Amino acid sequence: MINAIRTELLKMRSMPGIWVCFGLAFPLTVLIMLAVFAGAGGSPGHTYSFVVSLDQRRALVGAGYYGITFLAPVLGVICITSEYRHKTITSTLVLIPRRSRVLGAKVAVTAWWCVLMVVLTLVTVAAVGLPWNAGLGGVTSQVTDQVGAVVPGLVVATILLGLFGLGFGTLVKNQVAGILITIGGTFILEPVLVLLARGIFHYDLNWLPTDAAAALSGSLNRGGFGGHPDAGSHLLRWWLGGLIMLGWGLVPLSLGYFTTVRRDVT
Amino acid sequence: MSTAAAPRGLPIEISGLTKHFGSILAVDHLDFVVEPGRVTGFLGPNGSGKTTTLRMLLGLVTPNAGQATVGGRFYRDLPNPSGTVGAVLEATSFHPARRARTHLRMVARAGGHDEARADVVLDLVGLAADGKRKVGGFSMGMRQRLELASALIGDPDVLILDEPSNGLDPQGIAWLRDFMRYLAGEGRTILVSSHLLAEMAQTIDNAVIVSHGQLKAQGTLESLTSGVAQASMHARTPEADRLCAVLTGAGTRFRRLAHDLVAVDGMTPEQLGPLLATNQIILYELTNEGADLESIFLSLTAGLGFGEVGHPE
Repeated sequence: MINAIRTELLKMRSMPGIWVCFGLAFPLTVLIMLAVFAGAGGSPGHTYSFVVSLDQRRALVGAGYYGITFLAPVLGVICITSEYRHKTITSTLVLIPRRSRVLGAKVAVTAWWCVLMVVLTLVTVAAVGLPWNAGLGGVTSQVTDQVGAVVPGLVVATILLGLFGLGFGTLVKNQVAGILITIGGTFILEPVLVLLARGIFHYDLNWLPTDAAAALSGSLNRGGFGGHPDAGSHLLRWWLGGLIMLGWGLVPLSLGYFTTVRRDVT
Repeated sequence: MSTAAAPRGLPIEISGLTKHFGSILAVDHLDFVVEPGRVTGFLGPNGSGKTTTLRMLLGLVTPNAGQATVGGRFYRDLPNPSGTVGAVLEATSFHPARRARTHLRMVARAGGHDEARADVVLDLVGLAADGKRKVGGFSMGMRQRLELASALIGDPDVLILDEPSNGLDPQGIAWLRDFMRYLAGEGRTILVSSHLLAEMAQTIDNAVIVSHGQLKAQGTLESLTSGVAQASMHARTPEADRLCAVLTGAGTRFRRLAHDLVAVDGMTPEQLGPLLATNQIILYELTNEGADLESIFLSLTAGLGFGEVGHPE
């Protein structure tokens, strides 16, 4: 299993798509920080200011999460679909004939790269966001004291989003379709379904991947940018969001294993 | 051909192997054994079940019946699969953005081998200068060599090669032939599938011939040529059409190899010469090919997939 994980680590490192994801995480984090500062400016004439409220401070620490909501699943999708796109699945399964071991290694490596992505966004916040906030007159320690409250949920939510992407990728297999559906699902399908459910059935559809992960991460994506502090009020409890996200990861992974990975490779 | 060295290889045993893809019977109760220290050709027309058989051997395809083992074990149960069996299956299975050396390091890691082997095998297959290049820029022949390097990374006792000469230039094919003979000379088990019969005839010691998923013949090249096929004469003539008509009339089996070249099966020069003279057919060249692999193959597979075959009426 160790050999399989080391192989997958090297494999992921040599995929350009992974570095594109990481390359996007940085500017998206900066953009969200800008949104947080802009939202923090309350009075007329002040377009933006340093963060003040608890939500704003946490939103600044977790500024990378917005990008992560789609970059982590895309990372998971790429991890498995590149095997089918470039037909490397054959040689992978010849080298590591135990297919559960291959999938297990991909789970571990996707989780590892998700953690790295969180680290990148936190470094971006530390290198750009904190000096920016201090330059606007904010107190750095008021932001850094929220790290403990934000980071654990952020890490777990990111890992589970990555595993959701991995599971989805095992079912879809087509890389382009997998990435497009992941992004489209995050930014179009889920919001539309939530609105329809609320508007027509008066039902709070808060168990879809993005909202379940948002609940786990402390509602960073839903209400944390300062503009809509109540938006996260309909989210699930954090632990329930975590359990549901676990399901979103495990169900497609299990289905993918039994319907795709175990099949004949012809 | 080769003098078998002290075996370091393991036998490949195929027993009652059967595979259906829906209603299509791809492999039909196939039985054969591949011995160490020899190059064994796995020959058959396109769609005869060669690749499916190799994939079942490597655990990529699950058989409906029978079993395929290496040294008495299923591939997936081998303690060190890539250190025991090296496989070349398809030359397109590379990530184009990955460098050749990185690919080989990855293969070495997967099998728990020393990553320094990457440089050793790159050198072995003649790609030492291309290790830092991305595979996307490789020619088909270079990809084949890289695939072979991947198979050799664990210094395996058994090599399984599926159409390894595809895309290779004549020098590459000659190199591959020598390389396979060298590896067999070390006692390794070499199983190579191909439809390039002339090339295989110069390379293999043993042959397993399949058609429609069924075993048609198995044995050493010598035993097959002496026991199964008949002699063959190649006649080069500007009157090939008339020659074919004469042969048809005489009830002789023949193959039209080119516009001016006809292979006549089952006739000796003493029989064919008078026939040509009687019918006043101009002849540029007459060569005695003996019984070749192609004629064996065609007699066993009824010429499937290998162009025009003339049959006596």
